[in-house]
Amino acid sequence: MKKLAKLPLSPFLLPALVLMLGGCETVIDANLDEGPAQLSVDGFITDQPGPQTIRLTQTTNYFNNGTPPAATSATVTLTDNAGNTFAFTDPDNDGFYVWQPSTQSGTLGQIGRTYQLSIRYQNDEYRATSTINRVPVVDSIIFREEKLNPLSSETGYQAEFYARDLPGQTDYYRIRYFRNGELQNRPGNIITLENASFQGSADTDGLVFIRPFRQSINPENFYDMGDSVTVEIQSLTPDAFSFFQSVSGQITNGGLFATPATNVPTNVVNTNRNGRPATGYFIASAVRRKTVRVGSETIRP
Amino acid sequence: MYYKLLLWLLVAAFLPISARAQTSQNALQPTNSQDKQTISGYIKDAANGEGLIGVSVYVKETATGAVTNSYGFYGVTLLPGIYTIVISYVGYETQTRTVTLSGQNVRLDVELSQEGRNLQEVTVSAEREANVKNIEMSVNRIDTKTLQRIPALLGEVDVVRSIQLLPGVSTVGEGATGFNVRGGSIDQNLVLLDEAPVYNSSHLFGFFSVFNPDAVKDVKLIKGGIPSNYGGRIASILDVRLKEGNAKKPELNGGIGLIFSRLSYERPLFKGKGSFIVAGRRSYADVLAQPFLNNDLRGSKFYFYDLTAKANYRINDKNTVFLSGYFGRDVFGADFGFNWGSTTASVRWNHVFSNKLFLNTTAYYSNYDYSLDSDLKRKEPTDFFRTNSRIVDYSLKPDFSLFLGKNTITFGGQAILHDFQPGTATAASSGSVRTFGLESKYALENALYIGNDQQISARLQLQYGLRYSLFNYIGPGEAYAFTTDVPLGTRRFPITTVQYRSGNNIQTYGNWEPRFSAKYELTDNSSLKLSYNRLAQYIHLVSNTTASTPLDIWTPSTNNIKPQIADQLAGGYFRNFGRSGNEFEASVEVYYKWLQNQIDYIDGANLILNKFLEGDLLSGRGRAYGAEFYLKRNTGVVNGWISYTLAKTERQVDGINNGNWFPTRFDKRHTFTSVLLVDPANAKRWNFSATFTLASGTPATFPTNRFEYQGYVVPQNFGNTRNNYRIPPYHRLDLAATLQGRRRPSKRKEDNWVFSVYNVYARKNPFSVYFRQNEDNPRVTEAVRYSVFATLIPSVTYNFKF
Repeated sequence: MKKLAKLPLSPFLLPALVLMLGGCETVIDANLDEGPAQLSVDGFITDQPGPQTIRLTQTTNYFNNGTPPAATSATVTLTDNAGNTFAFTDPDNDGFYVWQPSTQSGTLGQIGRTYQLSIRYQNDEYRATSTINRVPVVDSIIFREEKLNPLSSETGYQAEFYARDLPGQTDYYRIRYFRNGELQNRPGNIITLENASFQGSADTDGLVFIRPFRQSINPENFYDMGDSVTVEIQSLTPDAFSFFQSVSGQITNGGLFATPATNVPTNVVNTNRNGRPATGYFIASAVRRKTVRVGSETIRP
Repeated sequence: MYYKLLLWLLVAAFLPISARAQTSQNALQPTNSQDKQTISGYIKDAANGEGLIGVSVYVKETATGAVTNSYGFYGVTLLPGIYTIVISYVGYETQTRTVTLSGQNVRLDVELSQEGRNLQEVTVSAEREANVKNIEMSVNRIDTKTLQRIPALLGEVDVVRSIQLLPGVSTVGEGATGFNVRGGSIDQNLVLLDEAPVYNSSHLFGFFSVFNPDAVKDVKLIKGGIPSNYGGRIASILDVRLKEGNAKKPELNGGIGLIFSRLSYERPLFKGKGSFIVAGRRSYADVLAQPFLNNDLRGSKFYFYDLTAKANYRINDKNTVFLSGYFGRDVFGADFGFNWGSTTASVRWNHVFSNKLFLNTTAYYSNYDYSLDSDLKRKEPTDFFRTNSRIVDYSLKPDFSLFLGKNTITFGGQAILHDFQPGTATAASSGSVRTFGLESKYALENALYIGNDQQISARLQLQYGLRYSLFNYIGPGEAYAFTTDVPLGTRRFPITTVQYRSGNNIQTYGNWEPRFSAKYELTDNSSLKLSYNRLAQYIHLVSNTTASTPLDIWTPSTNNIKPQIADQLAGGYFRNFGRSGNEFEASVEVYYKWLQNQIDYIDGANLILNKFLEGDLLSGRGRAYGAEFYLKRNTGVVNGWISYTLAKTERQVDGINNGNWFPTRFDKRHTFTSVLLVDPANAKRWNFSATFTLASGTPATFPTNRFEYQGYVVPQNFGNTRNNYRIPPYHRLDLAATLQGRRRPSKRKEDNWVFSVYNVYARKNPFSVYFRQNEDNPRVTEAVRYSVFATLIPSVTYNFKF
């Protein structure tokens, strides 16, 4: 049912229907060319207290299934438009560059501020910019006992969360959810919203998130009694929203209605126009979470 | 300017009134013996009174002739004398008539009888050589008899799937909507159902087409040398004509298959002065498939239905009117609902003036729409999402044919009003309802054309013409100007908006479209043909997926989207040989096409409900060239055809593939098809068919590298190239056997059983190859071959006729 919740959203989901007609997927061998390694930035900083991490790796050939090689010995600094500078260091040489606050509650990100990331790596200088936009809170999370499918006798607890888009301007968000503390991070779990709905929808400014999104936080067979469920809303800039849409499109791009495979965009720019380009994205985001348990107080008839 | 054109069209449509007055004046004058007279009339099927299209009417004494038009009408103009007229048509017995012309025009209506069932017993008549004698090139016809012999999927006969077996026609993959002709995309085919355009010709995405074979009389595909009376699309014309209905006796046809059932009824009207046919289909895959659906999808519904109807009435010898209509829908639903469908209606009036002049005026309406609904099960007004979109056309099209002996002049015009509704959406969330709609867009598409088919000598025939098309993108609406200084291949943002009032012109495009064909008969059974045509297309299907989806929208040319233009040069050699000189038909054709203003998309284009869609479109050029080889055996125990196409189709778009040429998604280097029909001489009730297809894999973009972002493994193509690989080749064998029921002389009932096997050796043909993370270990990436049908599909269909 989780899959179906997204169905009206875009033609990408039609393949599910066509699969009914006998579609078949087989894993095959493919010989691929390999391109030279590029710097890849996995940067996501938030307005939450505590340390912030930016991970730098190198791209590898597509079928290299190991941990991506770390991009070490880089100089990573972040500045904001209020004149602050934050240094990110990698003492373990593993590519994870960390900013440590001076106090435990020290916070890097502030809503409304713009952040510029500077990376000096192997004689190249890279820049990326992002802004922390506003974010609504998760009002509530409730559960209903539902059949796993219309003909099944088995039931589970289908979750639905409520949050309201902030009115007055076009906002972009991403939803993540955790079951018993475990992030649900499959390719199909990239959920992004424009206002309270998807891009190319009605103008849903200021509305409660529409139902397909409210119910987008369910695993295949729903939740069990006692499960802990966390829902997180992240604010995104319009370009970060496009980036996630593109990532989602490229990593779930099968079936009859696939779009041409293209590279996902990056906001990491080499200051030397002729230098080797980088991949990845730097995103600054405000994050709100709520955690509840499946129990009598959260179950609705 | 377009007002003038409209005015002209109106005049043309009402011309008959004034022309009639003129005709009667002429009749009063004494006839000069040196004046030519015309023999004209309708050629019909003796069994059911259907007008026959493309019948050869040959005058022995002058070695000239004519071919019947889409309504079965012909005309030959000659000096007074006694003539032997030979009327012949493939599959029908040839008739010879002697006609004396002595100062009067002669009306000669002829009915032809079908040949016996066993083709091998029929003496081959000399007039089977239409492929050599006819000036048409790059044209394929499938008659319903052949169509019935090659069931496509699940034992069902299908027009679009059958034309994919012809040279120069391909598809991006099994089950994809539409078809590609000589390197053209699917929206570049003008698909006509009794002259009304069909905007989406597919049922069940693309597994079946909207044409009910029980109601189809004639299917003609024109890939090149397109005459001046056709226009509006740049790759091909698929001209589907419906049956008129049996004008002699009532007839009931039907079929029961695994996926759907068909029923049609036809009968004479007004004591044979008219007739009608009504044909319907309904699929029941949803009912049958229910137990096999996986859990997520159980309880869902998916089906389609369609209704095709046509009626005609012959007012008198000079006037006939036709009414045709189609209505069909596909419905999918589980939690969400999704349905789409087309409606077409056309009214046509055939008028014969002075025997020399024939007029057909068509008025049509065509509509395609879809709608989505997010919550079908819970009908609450507080939470839902609904969206819909449509395109509607209204058109008037007078078309004259003037038969002047060695010249047949065709002229006329067309006016179309396009109404595009790109989409409205309504979202309700916890009781708040919001509606959002893109403004409708309007356009007028007009054309005037004239063409002449001229017999220069017994061996040389020319067909030449000119079409002027005029397109106006009109208000009410908003027109946008976009930034131009963005990096290549990225989104352009609107900078100014101009509001236009109803009827005000926003943008005008006009194109002269010259058409030319020539045929030279080298010998009695071989000929050379050459053609050139320019075509302009003003409306475009916005689709960025491998197979077109029913959600794809049509958009007009605007101040930002230029019309597509194609120039095609084609040449061919046609030869018949074998027993009686034409047991075999063979042809070789080569073509080269230049394409302008081809639409492509920026990476991450947003095509749904996007007001500023034009900012996400790119424009480029294309080229397509190839050679087509075709060999057909007309007679014998084993007959049918084989075809081989060698082709290349490429595109160049600034902002894609670093600005270099790249193969299009539907580029196939080699395509081989064979259709073998077996009519055993000693098993009169059985016949068999085998269809084999072999084609190169289509291009695809494969990654070179990967990187991780937030635990997701993202593919990366270092050079940012497009279509750098090819998926494995496609091949498939289908078999079918038909068992005729026993005929009882006392009963009118005829029936047959069709047994068929699709994909006999169960090949997992690739539709696409894509890359993904392993389900269990997200760090492991894999290449996946996606096959639409990975198994053999047996089926049985029962057909009956009363």
